[in-house]
Amino acid sequence: MASALRSTILRHIRVPVSQTLTVTGSRLTAVRSMSSHDDHLDKQQVVDRVLDVIKCYPKVDPAKVTPDVHFQKDLGLDSLDSVEIVMALEEEFKLEIPDKEADKIDSCPLAIEYIYNHPMAS
Amino acid sequence: MSVVSYLARRAAQKERVRILYRRALKDTLNWAVHRHLFYPDADALRERFEANRNVEDIELIERMITAGEAAHDKWRHPDPYIVPWAPGGSKFCRNPTPPAGIEIVYNYGREDND
Repeated sequence: MASALRSTILRHIRVPVSQTLTVTGSRLTAVRSMSSHDDHLDKQQVVDRVLDVIKCYPKVDPAKVTPDVHFQKDLGLDSLDSVEIVMALEEEFKLEIPDKEADKIDSCPLAIEYIYNHPMAS
Repeated sequence: MSVVSYLARRAAQKERVRILYRRALKDTLNWAVHRHLFYPDADALRERFEANRNVEDIELIERMITAGEAAHDKWRHPDPYIVPWAPGGSKFCRNPTPPAGIEIVYNYGREDND
């Protein structure tokens, strides 16, 4: 419930990508984002990188990894392994996920959803 | 004790263990100066958790988790790595989003001169 609400909110507060318009041949930036972090990952990029991280985990058989696996049910990991995977994902995407939320991430779709909707994922 | 409350208590204990492991693993990374020093430390930490994998007595588990949390609390890193934008990080609130409705017009006045 809370994660669904969170993802809905995060989906609505996307910062717009800066638009460029052409005035008399020169390109002027009309809207400049206030921070250097103005590019967001697209979905496919997130999926690929999440899968790469999971495939690199030593106890995982890379052939079994698809975008909709559950860490414990499908990959045969235990709960501490999934903690390690979530931490690896945090490092890959330079995120800081609060403990309680990280604890809820137990499958690939959830991880992709969370990272894709996170405004600071990079 | 009823089965439901037993299971609820076990679920709460499992969550505490996961969060304790997560925090301890992060602190292992904070204490390790290099990545290659982190891996054996992380394995040792995992061993310490795995050693008590098959404990069944719920009261004993409770005491062990409390002891583990106390040990972790004593061992916490004084200056942990925090992702820059996160609360406590070096870039936290550095570029706050301007309030809605305010925008900067960068080509102001240009329309008169051209």
